[in-house]
Amino acid sequence: MAMLQATDIHKKFGHLKVLKGVSLQVEKGEVIAIIGPSGSGKSTLLRCLNRLERIDQGCIEIESETMAKNGPKGWAVYSDEKDIERMRRKMGMVFQNFNLFPHKSVLENLMLAPVLVNGMGKTEAEKIARELLDKVGLSFKADNYPFELSGGQQQRVAIARALTLNPSIMCFDEPTSALDPELTGEVLHVMRDLALEHMTMIVVTHEIGFAREVANRVIFMDDGLIVEQGTAEEVLLNPTQERTKSFLGTVLMAR
Amino acid sequence: MDYVLTLMPSMLKGWTVTLQIFFIVLIFALPLGVIMGIARLSTFKPLAWFMELYVWLFRGTPLLLQLLFWYFGLMAVGLRLEREMAVYVAFVLNYAAYLAEIFRSGIQSIDKGQYEAADVLGLNRKQTMSQIVLPQVFKRVMPPIGNEVINLVKDTALVYIIAMSELSRAARIHAVRDENLIPFAIAAVFYLLMTAIVQQFFKWLESKLDYYR
Ligand SMILES: Nc1ncnc2c1ncn2[C@@H]1O[C@H](COP(=O)(O)OP(=O)(O)O)[C@@H](O)[C@H]1O
Ligand SMILES: [Mg+2]
Repeated sequence: MAMLQATDIHKKFGHLKVLKGVSLQVEKGEVIAIIGPSGSGKSTLLRCLNRLERIDQGCIEIESETMAKNGPKGWAVYSDEKDIERMRRKMGMVFQNFNLFPHKSVLENLMLAPVLVNGMGKTEAEKIARELLDKVGLSFKADNYPFELSGGQQQRVAIARALTLNPSIMCFDEPTSALDPELTGEVLHVMRDLALEHMTMIVVTHEIGFAREVANRVIFMDDGLIVEQGTAEEVLLNPTQERTKSFLGTVLMAR
Repeated sequence: MDYVLTLMPSMLKGWTVTLQIFFIVLIFALPLGVIMGIARLSTFKPLAWFMELYVWLFRGTPLLLQLLFWYFGLMAVGLRLEREMAVYVAFVLNYAAYLAEIFRSGIQSIDKGQYEAADVLGLNRKQTMSQIVLPQVFKRVMPPIGNEVINLVKDTALVYIIAMSELSRAARIHAVRDENLIPFAIAAVFYLLMTAIVQQFFKWLESKLDYYR
């Protein structure tokens, strides 16, 4: 059973066509890396999958439940808000800029959703929060505020926070792009651990090394379309498309 | 010195009137300002437009004129507001307009990522506003709010225009009667005392909120 199925997604911002018919199927336990030049629509695709953006056309299913599908007029029609919210809870999201809540301590950042959204008791929420902090190696920062943490630590907290609702899929939008190079390692390490636990993951990234090592499948996007996809070896080492080759050339050159 | 003491009873009485205006206006104008600031950003356009018009009207005309309107203006069309009521209505509506603008810009200064993070965690709009956005807004708007509160201390003197016996009017009456300026000097000391307290209070509040960035 596919964890997530997106079919022929179209998305425009005004007149700008950002997604021009993208289809993506994600199986349980799969780790998918999405690469591609800036502006190719990678973030928009992720954001459409958990309805931070609404799609214009296409179909999205989460664990065989329909979130949106084309209506009789050809435009996407979304399901009931209540069902959508339930489906969205199955997806964790990690942003490029962490987006931690600066006025809440690390522990409070993690307890917020379980308490407010799932109605969990404070004691249990705190227990879960502490377990997750331990998992990302930041137990000792539980009572600190985000500004007291390094970028890498903040992103690890953000990952732990996304895990508090026990999602079936984790989406990462360039999780290391805002970090100093020496801090990317600790974040990638946490993500690698998640992959080893068979978490289903969709990762937009410029970390070619990480994609090669961790991803079951690599997708290359350009100009609102999936240009090429396959195993890391196929796409990263033996790309067939010219655009993939030239993109990889510039990315590898840049390091 | 004896002369100063003879002035005190009526000055202190005026001062309590000033304090009363000050606190009542704050108690109503602050929450109203928050609500109006949020309404100003409503996706329901007519509400947002109405608030824009409101802010323009109440910030765009002198408070003194508004005071005259609520007291004499309404009286002229046969709707009599009590003197004190006219003062409260005029001040609350006027200050709410200023505060609404402060809260609006404060809300708009919060990063879009904060809303999105709350959204993907499943918080609804109300929770996002009360738990995530407004607490951060309150911290950011504290300095401009402090300015407005200091302005309010001084603006209370405007109510002399409808003959309400607050601090500055008490001073004026004595100054005219006794033909000297000492009552005004005493009034100035009272105002300075009040603004000093407000200033210290906001300093304390800002330091309280300094636990995060
Ligand atoms: N909210 C938005 N409004 C208008 N244009 C947008 C918006 N978000 C993204 N875009 C545009 O869509 C295109 C794809 O953006 P994005 O999905 O962020 O690309 P990527 O993540 O691959 O760099 C870009 O041209 C970008 O400017
Ligand atoms: Mg992007």
